[in-house]
Amino acid sequence: MVAHVLRLRFDLLVGALRGDRRRAARMILGLVVVTAAVVGVFIAAARLRGVDLAVADTVTVIAGSALVLGFFAAPLVGGLDDQLDPRRFAVFGMSSGAVAGAILLAGVISIPVLTLIAVGVAVTGLWTAHGASGPLTVFAVVLGVVTCMLAARIGLALAGLVLRGRRTRELSGLLLVAVLVIVVPVVVFFVSLEWDGAVPSALREAVAVLSVTPLGAAWAIPGAALTGTLTGPLLVAIGTVLALAALWVWLVRVLLTTTERPGVGRERAGLGWFVLTPSTPTGGIAARSLIYWLRDPRHLVNLVIVPVTAVVIVLPLLVVGVPFEYIALVPAPVMALFFGWLVHNDLAYDSTALWMHIAAAVRGGADRAGRLVPVLLVGLPLLAIAIPLSVALHGRWAILPALAGVCASLFLTGLGLSSVSSVLAPYAVSRPGDSPFQQPQRTNGGLAQGVVLIGALVLSAPALWWGWLALTADVSYAWVALWGGIGIGLAVLLLGVGIGAAIFNRSGGRLMEFVEST
Amino acid sequence: MTASLPLPENDAGDHEFVAPPLPALSAADAAASAVAADHADSDTVSEPPASQEPDAPATPAPRPPRKRPARTSAARTTAARTTTPRTTTPRTTAKRTPAKPTAVPPPPPPPPTPASVAAARFDTDPAPDVEATAAPEVDAPAAPVPEKPAPKPRAPRKPRTRTRLVRPAEPEAEIVVEEPEVALAVVEEPEVEPEPIVVPEPEPEPEVEPEPEMEPEPGPQPEPEPEVEPEPEVEPEPEAEPAADADLVVDALPELEVDVDAAVPALRLRGVTKTFGQTRAVDAIDLAVPAGTFYGIVGPNGAGKTTTLSMIAGLLRADHGTIEVAGVDLAADPAGAKRLMGILPDRLRTFDRLTGRQLLHYYGVLRGLRSSVVESRTADLARAFDLSDALGRTVSDFSTGMTKKIMLAGAMIHSPRVLVLDEPFESVDPVSSSVILDILSAYVAHGGTVILSSHGMELVERVCSGVAVIVAGQVLAQGTVDEVRGELTLEQRFIELVGGVSDVEGLEWLHTFSD
Repeated sequence: MVAHVLRLRFDLLVGALRGDRRRAARMILGLVVVTAAVVGVFIAAARLRGVDLAVADTVTVIAGSALVLGFFAAPLVGGLDDQLDPRRFAVFGMSSGAVAGAILLAGVISIPVLTLIAVGVAVTGLWTAHGASGPLTVFAVVLGVVTCMLAARIGLALAGLVLRGRRTRELSGLLLVAVLVIVVPVVVFFVSLEWDGAVPSALREAVAVLSVTPLGAAWAIPGAALTGTLTGPLLVAIGTVLALAALWVWLVRVLLTTTERPGVGRERAGLGWFVLTPSTPTGGIAARSLIYWLRDPRHLVNLVIVPVTAVVIVLPLLVVGVPFEYIALVPAPVMALFFGWLVHNDLAYDSTALWMHIAAAVRGGADRAGRLVPVLLVGLPLLAIAIPLSVALHGRWAILPALAGVCASLFLTGLGLSSVSSVLAPYAVSRPGDSPFQQPQRTNGGLAQGVVLIGALVLSAPALWWGWLALTADVSYAWVALWGGIGIGLAVLLLGVGIGAAIFNRSGGRLMEFVEST
Repeated sequence: MTASLPLPENDAGDHEFVAPPLPALSAADAAASAVAADHADSDTVSEPPASQEPDAPATPAPRPPRKRPARTSAARTTAARTTTPRTTTPRTTAKRTPAKPTAVPPPPPPPPTPASVAAARFDTDPAPDVEATAAPEVDAPAAPVPEKPAPKPRAPRKPRTRTRLVRPAEPEAEIVVEEPEVALAVVEEPEVEPEPIVVPEPEPEPEVEPEPEMEPEPGPQPEPEPEVEPEPEVEPEPEAEPAADADLVVDALPELEVDVDAAVPALRLRGVTKTFGQTRAVDAIDLAVPAGTFYGIVGPNGAGKTTTLSMIAGLLRADHGTIEVAGVDLAADPAGAKRLMGILPDRLRTFDRLTGRQLLHYYGVLRGLRSSVVESRTADLARAFDLSDALGRTVSDFSTGMTKKIMLAGAMIHSPRVLVLDEPFESVDPVSSSVILDILSAYVAHGGTVILSSHGMELVERVCSGVAVIVAGQVLAQGTVDEVRGELTLEQRFIELVGGVSDVEGLEWLHTFSD
């Protein structure tokens, strides 16, 4: 039976080159790229032979961890179609263990895994050149390859179980953003390090941590054997493989004994963000707000202006002559503050369509929380990219927690105050369909704007103070700033949402009169 | 709720129709003896004894099934379609008997045996009622024609000046009397009028109306008979509630005798006032909309209709007064009251950057429905309103009529008890209008309540069973349509109430074309 499955997999592989000419051409192009990458890996491994042991160890562990993570995340993010979906074997009456084993074995016959094996061969050559024992290195590489294969299988199974009904453009975009949010800071971090032929201390610590995590344990074994700390990585690597194998068998059993949720058909096709959010009033309002924030020019203008403002604000400081390290730290908090301030009048943008919320007696908490989702979804990734960049420009990575704490405090306090101000004191804005730059006549416009801005600054004063201390006096204040900032921000956010919800519940009529008068 | 009950079987297992025992007094005699008795006004439903004479001997019990006039023609037709299983109660059929063109006789006195006992004696349900969907109770042999006039007599419930919408419910008395005959003779009744008798329907409202619709000829025949509201059914409401399972004869009787107070109106306004600055847009109006009716609110421009409907919907707060939706106070429990209502406002935007499907999904999710439920209902609604191909387009690309249709679909998606529609037929083409009317009539026939405001008087007259005229924030007239309009058409009455048409002099310059 296993032979049949292997044969099947081989036929599938060959069949990928058949059929549509353009698709075959794309496959061949991909093959060429992959081959080139493999060749590059071999060259790099050859170059690493003559390098210091620590550097080789660092590169191996980090690259291996990235591979394992990539193999796991790619099916979830990329929406890849599983050629050997366990559910397709359900009709053959095989036991779940047999199916799991057969699929795992057949997974070897795939381009990524073959590439992985080639990389493993290169790593083996590298470490044997450094003096590690041959069998141990081969064993470690085998463990690493099996870990990656299991991670890929589990990723595919989870994608099939959880994400099948929700695979939309929005979800793919969201996951891509998440990947970027994780990858960009890391890359920035690495790029900013100074190597000078030796491994920077921060990196060494990171490698030491990764060596005992499931991600990098198998890849750390050869290096650990040479430095003497073998037991930790070895145990973790073996344990990881066993655990992942058990998880994989269990997932196969689940997939073979359950069916897909029915009715997930075309109807969900046109729903966009409504597919991803839960079917509660909060989820519905969040989805609708997302659609509006990403389509309505009035909101888009607001979104775009914030980062631009944040960067532009540094120009006067540059002219004045403030030292560059300090200037580099300015845009991120400014962005955080303005992102929090953006929703201070969100309710008025709905105009008279607000009647739907009031006629349906939507609870205030659902309305307030739902309206925060678009800003969070846009602001958090942008901040996650901006903060490491700022710190990299600043130069001292120890300040990263302080900057993160300050930004979190400003952002979350701004959101909390905005949740209150948008129900308490909304003011007229341009109507749906109008140009975003067409401001309506207002009699009592700007009080809410100023109050929210100043209020966010005032409430974040502690975090700002600690950040300032960390910058100028004692770096240990950085962690205080981080946790203090996050704590204050969360407290103000929850309080603001609660108060805003209470006000919303009681002032339906007043809000309707307001929107009908604008 | 109108599932037809299985036919009772006799001991041999046969579905045999066994006639119930006849009462001691024949219907005609009973009626005659009751003439001197009470209620001259309750004649609307009672058939003249004379007309019954021929029937009684001909068929012992073939009292034509009481025809319940559907509130609207559409409701009638839908009732006809849907009430086949319901028309089983002979009793209900009996109610329709009075479709006599002649003078309305007073209702006969109650039979000697109490209703429950007599009902319990019946062996079978009048199966024929089922197929005789429209089995008009009017005695086919007796007077096929009288159908038309019969409704008229029935229709007059108007005379009463009460604000409550009087349902011309068939007088209990006559029904009781007719029961014995009806049970037996119901089979024979040919459907004279196509209107579904909907007899057993729980909703009394439809029964009330049948008369007007019955006649193919328009109602030129003025109700000659005095509006005699059948005394028993003073308030139509009580019938609404208990009429849950009107299929059984046994139940029919009790439901008729339910006292009025048990009825909960779908909407009740008491002293509702709203002032904008110096002007009183709504001035202490009192309204009571019975459940299961099609209620229209008419008035000139700027009379406060939209303000009233906004207050009912909970979008505006009333300065004074109380609003109760199906018994739930809007001020005390707004969430509970709003859950019972579906709103279609006028002149308010909707989220038109969403596609049609997303908008309906939003409507459903806001009301707390699960997304799978919402999706299936979206498909049904799109098919019903003919919006299937528009669901993928952004709502801002819709025409006004389509926007109204999709907002109406969204108002219904959580299947509320009460629909509050502000100008639902404005800018809607006639085909869509008729489709919407069909849907709403079926909804009303199944117990829902529709409150709409409109400027189209013919529409209101044709469709609605109750109407309220609001002028300058006050209710000038309310009640059933026939009550309000009296002898005139609704439009004439409306113009008369509002104050007549202003003279068109003074525009001479308009006739000299300045080109």
